[in-house]
Amino acid sequence: MQRSFLAQNPSVLWFIACLAIFTAVVTVLSEAMGVGLISTSFVKTLGKTLCLCLIAIAMDVVWGYCGILSLGHFAFFGIGGYAIGMWLMYARTEKIVLESLSGQPIPPTTAEISDAIGNQIFGVVGSSEFPVIWAFADSLFLQLLMVVLVPGLLALVFGWLAFRSRVTGVYLSILTQAMTLALALYLFQNNSGLRGNNGLSGLQNIPGFAHLSQATVSLAFFTASAFALGAGHVFFAWVLSGKMGSVVEGIRDNEARVRFLGYHVESYKLFIFTTTAVVSGIAGALYYPQAGIINPGEIAPIASIYLAVWVAIGGRGRLYGAVIGAAAVSLVSSWFTGGGAPDINFGFYVIQWTDWWLVLLGFSFVAVTLFFPKGIGGLFDLLVRKQS
Amino acid sequence: MFRLFSLALALWLSAPAVAFSQTLQDILQTHQEEVLKPGRRSVGVVLADLMASGLPQALPFLEAWRDREIVQRDSDGLFFRVLAEGDIVTLADLDTGTELQAPDNELTESRPNGGVRRAIGEVLVQFQLSDPDIGKRQAAVDAIARSMDASQLAPLEASIDGEPDPVLKLAKSRLANMLAALFSDTADARIIAIAALSGDLSVDTRAVLNRLLSTTDAVAETLSADVNLARILKVGVDFTPAEGYGRLVTAELAPPLVSNDDIRAALVANVADAQVVDVPVHALGTDAARWLAYDMLVAGGLASPRVKPQEQIDAVAAHVFYAAYTEPEKRVTDAARSALNAIETKVAISQAADLGLDALSLASIYFLAAIGLAITFGVMGVINMAHGEFIMMGAYTGFVVQQFVPDYTLSILIALPLAFVITFGAGVAMERLVIRYLYHRPLETLLATFGVSIALQQLAKNIFGTQARPLTSPGWLDGAWVLNDVIAISYIRIAIFVLALIFLALILFVLKRTRLGLEVRAVTQNPGMAASMGINPDRINMLTFGFGSGIAGIAGVAIGLYAKVTSEMGADYIVQSFMTVVVGGVGNVWGTLAGASLIGFLQKGIEWLNPSNTLAAQTYMILFIILFIQFRPKGIVALKGRAAAD
Amino acid sequence: MTLKTSALALAALLGTSAAAAAECADPIKIGVLHSLSGTMAISETTLKDTMELLIENQNAAGGLLGCEIEAVVVDPASDWPLFAEKARELLTVSEVDVIFGSWTSVSRKSALPVLEELNGLMFYPVQYEGEESSKNVFYTGAAPNQQAIPATDYFLEELGVEKFALLGTDYVYPRTTNNILEAYLQDNGIPAEDIFVNYTPFGHSDWATIVADVVALGADGKQVGVISTINGDANIGFYKELAAAGISADDIPVVAFSVGEEELSGLDTSDLVGHLAAWNYFQSAESPVNEEWVSAWKAKMGEDRVTNDPMEAHYIGFNMWVNAVNDAGTTDVDAVREAMYGQEFPNLTGGTAVMLPNHHLAKPVLIGEITADGQFDIVSQTKEVPGDAWTDYLPESAALTSDWQKLGCGMYNTETETCVQLTSNY
Repeated sequence: MQRSFLAQNPSVLWFIACLAIFTAVVTVLSEAMGVGLISTSFVKTLGKTLCLCLIAIAMDVVWGYCGILSLGHFAFFGIGGYAIGMWLMYARTEKIVLESLSGQPIPPTTAEISDAIGNQIFGVVGSSEFPVIWAFADSLFLQLLMVVLVPGLLALVFGWLAFRSRVTGVYLSILTQAMTLALALYLFQNNSGLRGNNGLSGLQNIPGFAHLSQATVSLAFFTASAFALGAGHVFFAWVLSGKMGSVVEGIRDNEARVRFLGYHVESYKLFIFTTTAVVSGIAGALYYPQAGIINPGEIAPIASIYLAVWVAIGGRGRLYGAVIGAAAVSLVSSWFTGGGAPDINFGFYVIQWTDWWLVLLGFSFVAVTLFFPKGIGGLFDLLVRKQS
Repeated sequence: MFRLFSLALALWLSAPAVAFSQTLQDILQTHQEEVLKPGRRSVGVVLADLMASGLPQALPFLEAWRDREIVQRDSDGLFFRVLAEGDIVTLADLDTGTELQAPDNELTESRPNGGVRRAIGEVLVQFQLSDPDIGKRQAAVDAIARSMDASQLAPLEASIDGEPDPVLKLAKSRLANMLAALFSDTADARIIAIAALSGDLSVDTRAVLNRLLSTTDAVAETLSADVNLARILKVGVDFTPAEGYGRLVTAELAPPLVSNDDIRAALVANVADAQVVDVPVHALGTDAARWLAYDMLVAGGLASPRVKPQEQIDAVAAHVFYAAYTEPEKRVTDAARSALNAIETKVAISQAADLGLDALSLASIYFLAAIGLAITFGVMGVINMAHGEFIMMGAYTGFVVQQFVPDYTLSILIALPLAFVITFGAGVAMERLVIRYLYHRPLETLLATFGVSIALQQLAKNIFGTQARPLTSPGWLDGAWVLNDVIAISYIRIAIFVLALIFLALILFVLKRTRLGLEVRAVTQNPGMAASMGINPDRINMLTFGFGSGIAGIAGVAIGLYAKVTSEMGADYIVQSFMTVVVGGVGNVWGTLAGASLIGFLQKGIEWLNPSNTLAAQTYMILFIILFIQFRPKGIVALKGRAAAD
Repeated sequence: MTLKTSALALAALLGTSAAAAAECADPIKIGVLHSLSGTMAISETTLKDTMELLIENQNAAGGLLGCEIEAVVVDPASDWPLFAEKARELLTVSEVDVIFGSWTSVSRKSALPVLEELNGLMFYPVQYEGEESSKNVFYTGAAPNQQAIPATDYFLEELGVEKFALLGTDYVYPRTTNNILEAYLQDNGIPAEDIFVNYTPFGHSDWATIVADVVALGADGKQVGVISTINGDANIGFYKELAAAGISADDIPVVAFSVGEEELSGLDTSDLVGHLAAWNYFQSAESPVNEEWVSAWKAKMGEDRVTNDPMEAHYIGFNMWVNAVNDAGTTDVDAVREAMYGQEFPNLTGGTAVMLPNHHLAKPVLIGEITADGQFDIVSQTKEVPGDAWTDYLPESAALTSDWQKLGCGMYNTETETCVQLTSNY
């Protein structure tokens, strides 16, 4: 089975090989290995980009294969980040609090410890009590479970409601966007229990690994992200390779016809929607410890639209296309906004890319949609066709 | 403080002929620091001295002081009144009025703050109540209304008969009534005044009545007879048992509680040889162990005993908690209570009406923002993510017009059609260049127009900057339509409401009664058939899209007038607008109206339930919309039959 | 280091410091970490320009330790995680000696772990909610006791306000400030039911109901005052609605903590006249240094540009850092930090700012009434108020203090006499 699946999908092998080589090169050149040709901050950028590629794959599956333009996958990404962030903050703070309380004349009670941790975490938003949603924050295992379960459950419930009512097409897009907006607005509230606009910060300091340098930690996360991306790619390629894939693509092309053929369309859609949400959550859980901070702004609806745009630019309906789109746009974006691009001087006006990059990006979306509906991935088709 | 003034005033009026040797400047010099940097609490001395002096020039000085026209010359500390500003300032001597000049940088301005200006105003009241200038009389009445005082009653009543202006006369007698209710000597006079107040639901009337009815919470073992009781407070209803015990402690009717912190402190204080009494320190990591050890300390007389929960409950039960009126006369409070009750019913109704108006206004704003979308999305099925940016373009058009046309009324009149023309043009351009290639790929329209949206937004930033720009409404739109003190709505919101109605009528007219409308409906329902009937679908699509975009531009001017003009204002409205259209039902202008009303009223309703958190209200509203769409996927006004097919 | 000191000596010897600056092989680098794009660009770009002006002036005056100063400007694009990334880049790739940057608290908290990990040094120029004292940050903006508390005192003392509406945008600064103010007002005998608190989203525009609620507060005859921590654009709609309801500053005064000259510039301020703002600096402050500063700013940026409080914070911060580097003879972070304590520099408003061991400044508090031309009439100015990192009015932080000089701890519990933690609770 495995053999034939890979044989059917040579692009998966190619992809894994490229990813492995890339990871190895970055590792060898990183500061953690002593070479330092690639700075720690760039390793972090690359690691984060890999996570974005992973969620782009999920987006490609749900949109490019199943035809659901979800504008809510960044919500799942964010939830994953929050779930892991809660443990990171809790465990780090607990360590600090226990140290500071250890010098006391009499040992602290559990209530005192919990109060002190709450005060440290929520003091910044003027509170010191633990909200209910932090009930499992002390357990890494349970929070890791939340990374998978919360986005999965949310997607399951939301998807069940939406698909059951036959909400499709642009209506579904608007509905998912509304869901993202509601979540972001909820998290923006200071008393949401997740520190409001401040979000969770200092996530790059991994409790228990304080002795390791950020160079090592970021390399570890980079490798983990690369592994997750590879695994995600293989998983979805496998899911979509068999009959399942055909049905899903059928739903994209003509939902009514697939339904008349006797397939339970809603279940397929729900399965795809939920699985991709879970993968998005995992990508988020890997992303935010590298970014160091998560706050509600990350979940804003516009992020999810950008995600769709990455996939469109990379090329829908092919997993590597999503990866190319996400990596290309986010890296080029940071090159332009980082002041890396040279100014263009017209004499009467100087184009500074920090100001004009979004204009360029916006019009290139239009150009890609109009002229390259297959995206960058479409170029590979041309190459393949020429060879054959 | 006011009694002091009236005393001074009486002295002054009774002995006008007495010659005073001192000048105004002398008095000011004795209070140099106070005049230069006055404070609300300390300015009274200066004012009292000025009044006591009886100098006629004190009045113009006070007015000038209030209006920040008094300066001190740095060289000798003398005070002057400023007549003309400039590098060289023209000054007037405060006593003689002689004009003189001084360079600006050798003068220090006295800047009485708001509180001081109010204190000065209160002193001036006495002289201004019968001033020939109606503005000053009005100011005097306002000043009394802001800080009511017993001493003002007599002069105010005295000035009523001589008041020539009927409106002001009414205001004066109303104010006198309020003062009488508060300060008249006899209870009967006060009750009569209170009766006259009932039915008036203005904020200041309620302020007077509430002041009469102010209560203080108290606790006692038994209720004493001479208390003017407002009501008995009940445990579990008005306060929790813990709060009740806290009140007992504050009233020193019960011993204070021993908190966990106190216990810890007592234990820490008694640590000896790594143990407290006989308990080893390392075992004190739980509350139970600490309580045990603490009780041993208590037994040894080393700490005060803990108050057990049952003791707390018993102590609370053994006392009576009540609210007592600060006003001792029961007849007065009864009259005030019945007057207030009558008013409060009215107030509640008015508040509901006011909330309804706010909701209506919000609904019309949502409608205005969404109506253009109802055409492009609802009728044509094109997802235009740049719709918000068309709103923004309209608003910036208004801003630019105001840069060239300084007259606000005229500029708005120019801006409205101009905004339509510009956004119509932008809409047509976008339709021709982008959207017409994508009619069969609706999801990709979303992406392409999103690209246009971020490009336009950033362009606006590059051109106009990120800062909010002003779009000033004409003077006649300032202020509010005040029905009573509770129901009020600003004219600008009424204007938006009217504009929304006009658009509704206009769009219905265009779609239902014109050739264009007929053709639009034909093309929407079946482009192929329409084309074979001689309609040019390309042209119709272009015009329809331009029309929808143009309306967004006009909506932008209106929204800019009431809120702000920023490059991101469109993004604020886009998600709301889509939801308005979807909730209302696609393809139907009435549906958009229904959607906007539902969202507007719902949001205000939720805000009313939770007034301290507007963000939460928005969150719940969106959740409601998501659920609503699940159960009514086609919206409130759903199309039926073939037109409803995707 | 010895090389640099000798260069300095040489510079003194030659008497022409500009020549010496040219001889310095390695310029001193200053990182400027302010958003030049995104939502915060409007506020932060001004601070980047301020830093460039300050550095230009310093270079014209002979540089620092005989070296040219070079600004390394990066753009974190109002994206909070980018602040951490760019801070790391500045410290490890560009190897800057000090960073001037950040505006929002969340951006500062994003950069904090990096600064503490790499032992960098940052100057943070904006008023904030306090409850923080990092070893690696100097807070040159106002702590709550340098802005909110004096403004509230002014309301209580001078305007006789008895009932308070605390209106804010829903994020951490208004939330914490309002928590502190609620506790403070209750300490001052204002009962809890006389304090109305409301939070609105960023960019809120529908103010009718909230204004009506505030007006209704006056129904019991008490003087109402509004303490506004409303941020940015939302203020416009708020003041418009107040004016439409016929509420003047005499009826219900509003004191704002986030409305300064920059926010007012280009706006129609006729609706706002008489309302108040509390800051440590106003452009209208009358002092020779301020006039010089304002004219230098206008000469560089244009006549219609204004100066504001965070600019003064950078002005003081930068000059203190320059003096501290001169005192220490090096730009080494630890040495400079030691030299910073007790640094004095004249305020633009007159008087002297002092850097305290808790990394905050002692600065005077000014209260201004908004005038029709978008400036402020200063109606109250206090003596220098020492900034307090941990507020005394919240029970959780009352026992905490910060003293990096003697105690070597930013979060020291005076009751248990222990250092709670050395890093910050970001």
